[in-house]
Amino acid sequence: MPPLQTSHSNARDLLRPEVLAGLKNLDLVARSVVEGVMIGLHRSPRFGFSQEFAEYRSYNEGDDPRFIDWNVFARTEKTYIKRFLGDTNSHLMILLDASASMGFGGPPVNKLRYAQFLSASLAFLAARQHDAVGCIVFDEEVRDYRAPSTRSGKLQGVLHCIDSATASTGTRFDKPFDKFREQTTRRGLVAVISDFYCDIEDLLAGVRPLAWNGQDVVLFQVLDKQELDPDFKSNVLLEDIETGEAVEVAPQFMREAYPQRIRSHIDQLRKAAAGIGADHVLVNTSDSLDQALRNYLLFRERRQ
Amino acid sequence: MGLLAPLFLLGVLAIALPVWLHRLQTQSSERKPFSSAMLLEKAEQQIHVRKKLKYLLLLAARIILLILIALAFAKPFMTVSPDAIVATDAGTRLVLIDTSASMDRAGAFSQVQEEAGRAIDGAPDGALIQVLSADRTLQVVGELSGDKSVSRAALGAMSASALRLDFGEAMSAVERLAASMPPPVNLHFVSDFQASGMPVRFADAVPAGIAGFTAHVVGTGEPFNWSVEFVRDTGEGLDVGLNGSGDRERIADVDLLVNDVVVESRGLSQTGPQVLHFDAPDLKEGENRVVLRINTDDDLAADNSWYQVIDNEPPATIPLLTLDTGGLPVTYLSAALESAGAYSVLPMVVGEFDPRVLGRYPWVVIDEIGFIDPELERSLTGFLENGGNLLAFAGDRAAALEVLPVSGHRQSATAVRPQAGEFLSVGQIDIRHPVLSQTEGWQSVNVSRNLPLDVQDGDEILIRLENNEAFLIERRVGQGRILLMPGSLDNRWNDLPVRPVFVSFIIEAARYLSGINEIPSNYTAGASLPLTLAGGASGQVVDPDGVTVLSLADTTREQQIKLNKPGFYEVYTPQGEMIVAANVDPLESDLRKVSQDVLDRWQDATGGQTLTGTETFFADEEQTVELWHWVLLLLALIVIAESILGNMYLTPRRTERA
Repeated sequence: MPPLQTSHSNARDLLRPEVLAGLKNLDLVARSVVEGVMIGLHRSPRFGFSQEFAEYRSYNEGDDPRFIDWNVFARTEKTYIKRFLGDTNSHLMILLDASASMGFGGPPVNKLRYAQFLSASLAFLAARQHDAVGCIVFDEEVRDYRAPSTRSGKLQGVLHCIDSATASTGTRFDKPFDKFREQTTRRGLVAVISDFYCDIEDLLAGVRPLAWNGQDVVLFQVLDKQELDPDFKSNVLLEDIETGEAVEVAPQFMREAYPQRIRSHIDQLRKAAAGIGADHVLVNTSDSLDQALRNYLLFRERRQ
Repeated sequence: MGLLAPLFLLGVLAIALPVWLHRLQTQSSERKPFSSAMLLEKAEQQIHVRKKLKYLLLLAARIILLILIALAFAKPFMTVSPDAIVATDAGTRLVLIDTSASMDRAGAFSQVQEEAGRAIDGAPDGALIQVLSADRTLQVVGELSGDKSVSRAALGAMSASALRLDFGEAMSAVERLAASMPPPVNLHFVSDFQASGMPVRFADAVPAGIAGFTAHVVGTGEPFNWSVEFVRDTGEGLDVGLNGSGDRERIADVDLLVNDVVVESRGLSQTGPQVLHFDAPDLKEGENRVVLRINTDDDLAADNSWYQVIDNEPPATIPLLTLDTGGLPVTYLSAALESAGAYSVLPMVVGEFDPRVLGRYPWVVIDEIGFIDPELERSLTGFLENGGNLLAFAGDRAAALEVLPVSGHRQSATAVRPQAGEFLSVGQIDIRHPVLSQTEGWQSVNVSRNLPLDVQDGDEILIRLENNEAFLIERRVGQGRILLMPGSLDNRWNDLPVRPVFVSFIIEAARYLSGINEIPSNYTAGASLPLTLAGGASGQVVDPDGVTVLSLADTTREQQIKLNKPGFYEVYTPQGEMIVAANVDPLESDLRKVSQDVLDRWQDATGGQTLTGTETFFADEEQTVELWHWVLLLLALIVIAESILGNMYLTPRRTERA
């Protein structure tokens, strides 16, 4: 069906990073991404869970009166809340790495900006699913924190928190995880978005307690194309953005040895994540955002 | 260690270029930010360190390269002390050989070899021997050595020169040399001991520091020799002074050759001093080679020819611009200029003078610059700007003008005038100036009146009066020059025209303004010809054997040419060609020996002072060793090293391209 294909194709185009880079408003970005993803999802019944009826339950104080099924009230004069599968109470906590290394990459977008798109999209998607969304922006310290909430105004706060993150200093994972543990006791989803240039054991030391507490952790590893497939024509003196350490490398090394090392690092991270029940999603900043969101939705489905 | 051309060291500043370029290189865009160095192994850092080291080595090689280039141009040298020689009790034997012109007599030098060989062989065991030769200068032949064969070998290359030996000068040089020799120093002098070689003071022939003196006399027997002592051009012919000694029965012929052609021959019937007169030969215009040749088989052939250059240039015509061709200034100037024989004065009335003929003359004289009208002024100015010269005097007419024509000098209002009846004298003379360097007697000039002029930029004051007024000014106008005397030439303002200095002044001024820097054409063998006097620092000289004297490099430098051979030398300079003649010193022709008494006294007087003791001496003075050859060798090595390092530095990039 050509019209459908066209529509789908246009929606996918909207998810390309270079297109999203032109959108200044993160809310608009998130909305565009999610709408684009959802258009794609409609073609697959497997992902229709969020629209499927789950149950009716009596209205209790504190419930949002918007979800009262007025048809049932008309027939029974009792207030019932209509619940769908996707409306099961959950919350999403986004841990966004805003260290200096996240400032690498581009054009059109560097890793941090891409991670911001991803975070915003996740937040928007979660809000659309009536999940409580919170956010922690961190580097060596916790820079910003938004507690998870389902209130409608809270999403803008989370998006602002994400949007105002700037790349600086180094990375430490213990502090954001400690902060998260201090503030949150409910089980839910934890999306850690980082490039994960760290010792894997140090990362696991932070993630493992969350997993053991029943949190569902997904590690979004955001890497730029230059990191995955560097292309240098001559010797370059590469300076670590975070530490300032300079290493001169030959193009031959960057072409042969380095890709093996980065793949090895990614594999180690994936295995380590699997070992503690967490999920690992590799995100290439040159790819469109839908893959990352699909991973999120798949992960959420499994959790349901 | 020193530098012969230290200014070339400024070239070291060029190292700023590679330093700057390398600095740019290190700050090149190749330094890129990267997300993490975590996955870049330290081995890569070692590569970087090694590369950095190579890079610094390359920079160092380039800096050294530039320094060495500058150093090579600066011509470094070092002075090296010769090997020390430890004296023995046997001391040193100096074998001094007379190589003056008189030693060129038949058979004399074979005797020299014999006598010198005997002197060498007779040296005690352990004695150091040094062979010396002496003519106009003392020269060390071979090296100081205890090996007699070495000293004997040095004799083989010796021959007589055409130069004169003065015993006094030779002994003075021996004395200085002996002071650096291991004592005791014994002198063996092999010579013909000409009486004419003795110095005026006998004591000058006695060297100090000599323990013993042995005379080896060669050329014994009654000498027979003819020689030419002088040739004089009288204007009516040539007077030739001859001298013959020895056998009175033997006769000789004398040929007069002009430009290689025998023009007259005379017979000599008896020896003894005599003067022959030759009629004036036909000379070509310009320089003529005149040779007096004695055809005889006397003992000394070197002095049988006399070489003389006779200049037959016609007198140069000098226009004298005046109002009165019969006036005193004309008389004075004509007499002075024509006394030199090279100039002919042509008095011309200013009003009748056609300025178009100015170009025919190298310079002109005007006895009163105030006569010059505007039209003539324009012509004279053009003449000067095109390289002509002007000798001008200022008199009453000039005194009436505020500004002098041609020169543009203004009269000064602040002049100090002499009182009536008093005279000013010359206060200051620039004796370095060619016009004045050969003149004497300016102090006797009395000046009663002088035109006070304001000195202008570019004026060179050659003579000042005692009141500081300029009395002779030189000013350049274009390519020419003016010599201006602000005084009249009629003996009223000053008495210069009647003073002896006037003639020499006018003649030197004439030479200067003619562009002639004359030097004598005739020299004694051994004299120096300063090439600068011959017209310039660059030039070439061809000796009597047709061999060029100067190397190509030397032709551009100021040179003192030694005229060591008798005959004609051809001198070529950018200013022209000339011929100079050199003759054997007539004193060498007198083959009479010093008397035996004098010789005995000489030997007795020498050796009174004996140096004793064993000390360390040096065989020679410190030697200067130029090091630029080694610098060039090092330079070549650094160039190779730089190429290798540069190649190593570029290797990764080449790999990348491949």
